[in-house]
Amino acid sequence: MGKYRMLLKAAIKKQKGSIIGIFLLVFVLALCLFSAVIVYISGINSVKNEMHRLGFGDFTIWVSGQPENLKTEIENVPDVDYVLSQPLIFADYEINGDYSDNEGQLLVYDGSVPYRFLSADGTEQPEPEIMRGTVYISPALCSGFDVQVGDTIRFELTRSNGIKSFTIAGYFADAFMGSSMIDMKSFLIHIDDWEEMREELSEAADVDVLGRTGAMFHVFRREGSDLTEPEFHRQIYESTDVSLYTEFSYRLDSILNYMLLLQNILSGFLIAFSAVLLLICLIIIGHSLSVVVEQEKRDMAVLKSMGFSGSGIRRFYLILYGGTILLGFLFGLLPAFGIAGLLAKAMVSSTGMLIELSFPADIILPVLSGILFLFAVFLFVRTRKILRISPMQTIRETGGGKKVTSALRKHFLGLDIALREIRSGSSKYIAVCIISAFLSMFLSVIGRMGTWLGANGEGLMNTFSVAGHDLGVQPFNASVPMDEIERIINWYSPIQETYELAMQSVIVNGQEYTANVLNDSKWFHVLSGSVCDGGSILITDTVAGELGLVIGDTVRVTANGRMETYTVSGIYQCANGMGDNIGMSLTGYSKIGDITGYIWCHHYILENGLMREYAMAYLQEHYRGIDVHTNSWSGLDGIVFVMHALIGVIYLVAALFVLVSVALTANKLLQSESGKMAVYKTMGLSSGRLRLSFAFRFFVVVMFGTGSGLCLSAFWADYAIGRIFKMFGIGEFNSGFSVLGTVLPLLAIPLLFFGAALIFSAKLKQINIVNLISENEE
Amino acid sequence: MKEVILSGKNIIKTFGENTVLHGIDVEIYEGDFTVIMGSSGSGKSTLLYTLSGMERLSGGRLFYRQRDITNASEKELTRLRAKEFGFVFQRTHLISNLTLYENIRMAGLIGNLSEKETGLRTGNLIGRMNLEGAKDRLPSQVSGGEAQRAAVARAVINKPAILFADEPTGALNKANTEEVLNLLSSLHAESQSVLLVTHDKEAASRGNRILYLEDGVIIGELTLSVYTGKDRSREEKISHWLEGFGW
Repeated sequence: MGKYRMLLKAAIKKQKGSIIGIFLLVFVLALCLFSAVIVYISGINSVKNEMHRLGFGDFTIWVSGQPENLKTEIENVPDVDYVLSQPLIFADYEINGDYSDNEGQLLVYDGSVPYRFLSADGTEQPEPEIMRGTVYISPALCSGFDVQVGDTIRFELTRSNGIKSFTIAGYFADAFMGSSMIDMKSFLIHIDDWEEMREELSEAADVDVLGRTGAMFHVFRREGSDLTEPEFHRQIYESTDVSLYTEFSYRLDSILNYMLLLQNILSGFLIAFSAVLLLICLIIIGHSLSVVVEQEKRDMAVLKSMGFSGSGIRRFYLILYGGTILLGFLFGLLPAFGIAGLLAKAMVSSTGMLIELSFPADIILPVLSGILFLFAVFLFVRTRKILRISPMQTIRETGGGKKVTSALRKHFLGLDIALREIRSGSSKYIAVCIISAFLSMFLSVIGRMGTWLGANGEGLMNTFSVAGHDLGVQPFNASVPMDEIERIINWYSPIQETYELAMQSVIVNGQEYTANVLNDSKWFHVLSGSVCDGGSILITDTVAGELGLVIGDTVRVTANGRMETYTVSGIYQCANGMGDNIGMSLTGYSKIGDITGYIWCHHYILENGLMREYAMAYLQEHYRGIDVHTNSWSGLDGIVFVMHALIGVIYLVAALFVLVSVALTANKLLQSESGKMAVYKTMGLSSGRLRLSFAFRFFVVVMFGTGSGLCLSAFWADYAIGRIFKMFGIGEFNSGFSVLGTVLPLLAIPLLFFGAALIFSAKLKQINIVNLISENEE
Repeated sequence: MKEVILSGKNIIKTFGENTVLHGIDVEIYEGDFTVIMGSSGSGKSTLLYTLSGMERLSGGRLFYRQRDITNASEKELTRLRAKEFGFVFQRTHLISNLTLYENIRMAGLIGNLSEKETGLRTGNLIGRMNLEGAKDRLPSQVSGGEAQRAAVARAVINKPAILFADEPTGALNKANTEEVLNLLSSLHAESQSVLLVTHDKEAASRGNRILYLEDGVIIGELTLSVYTGKDRSREEKISHWLEGFGW
């Protein structure tokens, strides 16, 4: 053992650069991968647990009014175990001059439901003594309304002096509706305030009333029930009068998906990035090992001639590299928890609650074991060469070269030498080329994602709305001069495309939904199946789950007392009403609904989307009888901020990987070429020119790799991102050409490699020519 | 009176605790074929590398054509190596992925010759060094003699003021040794200044001035006529002179 310990000590001393580099790469990989896994798993567990703790049923029905016997009626349904009821008041609200697009739901806080209270950054706070006139809100409102403790929220109960003001006293974790992906928000108030509001609503005249009372019924299924979820849902609706009062109803999974949408996207991207980093790690370690074996071949041959066995030497390298990799993973795993914590905190304004982090050993340990096994197999294969080293043949071996023909021009000598080196030693640069191809492909994907996302989250806005648009104008009477309005919009920015949307209430198989009717159905974001026509409709995943429908099923759709049968042509994406909607074509809807009147909102796609805010402000100021809106929602800013931050972090990690990759490959190359470099110096080539020539090699190889990576991403990126996004419920992705996605990686990656190679070749300046020549004479 | 091309005053060179050159005063004259001899470890190669600026001095001064280059910048030394100095080593140190022709041409381009002039000189040197048959081969594909002749050609393509040669025949067989020495002699005959380090009497006989180094100090100097061909009396003179140092 002593002899191996001695060898190990010497190898660590000689190869400490490589060992540190490999450790760093694996460390970053582990940090990235495990923090994503921790956030992903903890997020699901945390929100699910909180929903269970707060009493969310297998599904929950929001009803309006105060139907006395409904709870008992539902409880009498055979497969229902029990029902929990939470009374509430629906009311529109205004914060700091901004009006909400959706009603809020005011809940009593009397301690019976164990809500958790938070600070704005998501840290848990002790349970407060709620005071009259104060309200607790979801932290997700901070990003949407720029709100903070001490601000006032005004709820509109009645038209005549029915505004009730509350001062924000703090935040609470709302596991049902806290996410900024969900439009409706809950507000916790004192029971006396709540009773006072209920009384005001009950006393108000029908024409005066704006708010209304209601309740959440959390329905729990009997254990052992054989019904499927849609069957259970249908059983309740068919056996009770609940459909008469229902505002909306959601399964636990639907709420969970919306609560966790952002963190799932973030984790998904970090995991995909980790997969790229893993490939790069394997390439770099493989390359590094090959070079070390090549460089140490003579020493290995001498060791063999001294009686060391090939497998013994191989075992020694396996321990050295395997140990470094293992340490990298273990050291990366520890801070991953901290990084996951930072990610969780960054997402509080989006998820509305701080994810409770836990160590998902049941996931991480198998993942870690799998990756370590992969590395072990990889190292085992890559060290096979050691067994084939023949002592005397290697000791006698003299270095040859590969004959290539290329120009050597006086004014481009640095570049020509670089090209010559690349061509004669191409195998040394394959690793660098592949690394740059992978990095550029992934950065291009990230860049495309950034472009799609847009500075203000246009990509998300377009995807989650019925159909993408910059500006929407809905006239409410005949006197609105739409021609003039379009001329004004055109003045701000040429209109590229336009279509019309109507949102109408329909009943699908007995349940009420909003029908999004488009005069041109190509604009729907179809996830699977095909776009709808006159005889078919599109449904969301939510509706498919609630009604137990699949593509090809037949449904009965009713509007204005007329009923028609349609086929489900596809699943589409629209987050309106948390997915409680269907898509119809104009011809399809015209069979049952009235398509005349002022139900149509004109949607415009502008050549310069950034002008939409200006156009909207102008139209709002100068025209009456219209509703003008852009394609945005309250929680978007928080999500966009986190997504842009993630893109920034990925760029930084990629840059770090470039530095470490170059450090490893450049050091090995310089070591193996030190003699040649010294000779060039004796011939009068300055260190500066040699360094430039050395860095050129990286530039040229990486340009080639980056070009290949970008070509791959051009053909594949949109498809791949689209697939990933679909997994997380984002229906449409189309980035196209962008400076960020195409030009930046093409320039930045080769320049980064070039710069890093220039930095790491600085040792050429200090090398002692005589020593190197003497070394090579040995 | 010969012009001094290179001179060292009180040259000291130490490696850590070990002093290799102990205050040497030396002058190298233009047009001379100067040979440095000495036993193994006497410091002869160190003196050559110190005089050529490849090793920095630990003490003393170094002058090239009366100009003090003791503390010359790396840039200035690079310029000297590109244009004024040529080097030949024991091992050829040709660039392994360049053919012999390209190795020679490369030096011309680095020395800032025009492309045309470089091509012309390379062609001439290839002919002169008898390398026509091997010029398109890589160093690993030619004999030691061919490689060393190419190395000499590479060293002289820029017509250096002085050619430094460190045991250029040390790794060659007798026939190749003879060829390379003839080449050096013919270059000297054309007024090329040469500074050769060797421990081979036959190689030393090509010089017109021999310095003997012992423990980092020059302890003897022998002046000879210019070499014109094999001469028994010349070799005996050198042998006799070397015997004085216990050779």
